[in-house]
Amino acid sequence: MFMTKYDIAIEIDARGSFCPGPMMELIKAIRQSEVGEFLSLLSEDEGTRNDVPAWINKAKHELVEIIYEDGYDRYIVKKLH
Amino acid sequence: MQRIVIVGGGFSGINVANKISMKTKRKDVSIILIEPREDNVYEPFYLYWSFRKDPLKKFHIPIRKVLRKRVQHIPALATKIDTKNKSVDLSNGETIRYDYLIIATGARMAEEKVGAYEKDNVHHFYLTKATTELQEALKNFNGGTIVISPSTVPYKCPPAPMEFAFMVDRYLRKRKIRDKSTIKFLYPLLRPYPERRVAAKIQELYDKRGIEFVEFFNFERVDKENNKIVSLEGDEIDYDLLVLIPPHEGHKVIIEAGLGDREGFVPTDRFTLKVKDQDNIYAIGDCTNLPVSKSGAVSHFSAPTVAKNLLLEMEGKEPTEKYDGFTICFVVTSPRRSLLLFFSYAYPPKKFGLHNLFIYGLVKKAFKIAYFKAILRGYL
Repeated sequence: MFMTKYDIAIEIDARGSFCPGPMMELIKAIRQSEVGEFLSLLSEDEGTRNDVPAWINKAKHELVEIIYEDGYDRYIVKKLH
Repeated sequence: MQRIVIVGGGFSGINVANKISMKTKRKDVSIILIEPREDNVYEPFYLYWSFRKDPLKKFHIPIRKVLRKRVQHIPALATKIDTKNKSVDLSNGETIRYDYLIIATGARMAEEKVGAYEKDNVHHFYLTKATTELQEALKNFNGGTIVISPSTVPYKCPPAPMEFAFMVDRYLRKRKIRDKSTIKFLYPLLRPYPERRVAAKIQELYDKRGIEFVEFFNFERVDKENNKIVSLEGDEIDYDLLVLIPPHEGHKVIIEAGLGDREGFVPTDRFTLKVKDQDNIYAIGDCTNLPVSKSGAVSHFSAPTVAKNLLLEMEGKEPTEKYDGFTICFVVTSPRRSLLLFFSYAYPPKKFGLHNLFIYGLVKKAFKIAYFKAILRGYL
């Protein structure tokens, strides 16, 4: 598990999967998590950079941070409701 | 003599059984296929069958007719898989021992999780009985709002609900009630198909035909009392007729054997197709958790890898054959037109032949003949 200032409840490693894989994995994890928990999504798919922030905005959760790692991105998401 | 047992006799099970049969000798290997149904169904036909009542024999074929003679078909349900003792219990009371097991159980349509299919305006086209009910509902539909949506991802044949929207548009035009009807296609993503260029083409066709696309709609529940479908994102959409793809999950026998993930799909090595953490078990088709579409095309392109690796293992060698995730997909945009896509683990869907939709429409129809005559029988 990634060591961060956030207490990550679920980490989703969607590297190696194309859209809609990473986003659908995130949505599944959102369904399983509790309000207030942080989730971490790992994706190397370029489409995710557009789709995930747009979905989080639509679904009214919080995209806390995107961390650009070596060859992939880490999205920190907080479930708000 | 070694015994290979295949649990599940849909397209994947029959196809891989035939392929192994062609590559082995009767004296060396016995092959047993466990499948309770007597018929194989050409499932892509459900999409067309929703709109016309062709006889079942047009897309059903007796399994015995397409299974090679030396493959033994046991018409029973596998009720328990015991990986420790390498055996499978059957609904007829028999217990079959195996040296190698191939899981080809497919995906289960978890209709009970929707809790609304008992209503006469909530339907789907993924099973024979459900499709006959949808046929009636469409026949009795005289205008209003038709809503089409997946319930969960993954589901079999990703373009199917989007294709259904095209088909229902044409059907309503033919019945001259299109102007009294609204068609809404709901989808979990920002666009009507994962790949952008394909999505743009589909959106263009939807605009032309007046099909409304609703983005970011992740199904949450059906409010069947008020005829509304509700999303995880908080949206509610009214319907007069709802066509909802049922949730897909793994079968009970897989879950109870401890061979499934949280959705009951079998964790499978994406390259060798060997079941993870199991020595002599392979998996193929919709029962797997492979990061590709759940479709017959994936089964078709991965079957040679399963057959080859299993035979390598039987010779005491390492299973080195790799499936690269290659598959193709026809996207129907009308009864005679479709797009062709191809993709693999290494690249996302690429479109092909968008300029010549009519030809690919014909190819898709001709494919049914090839399916029964050659592909199912393991020749291709």
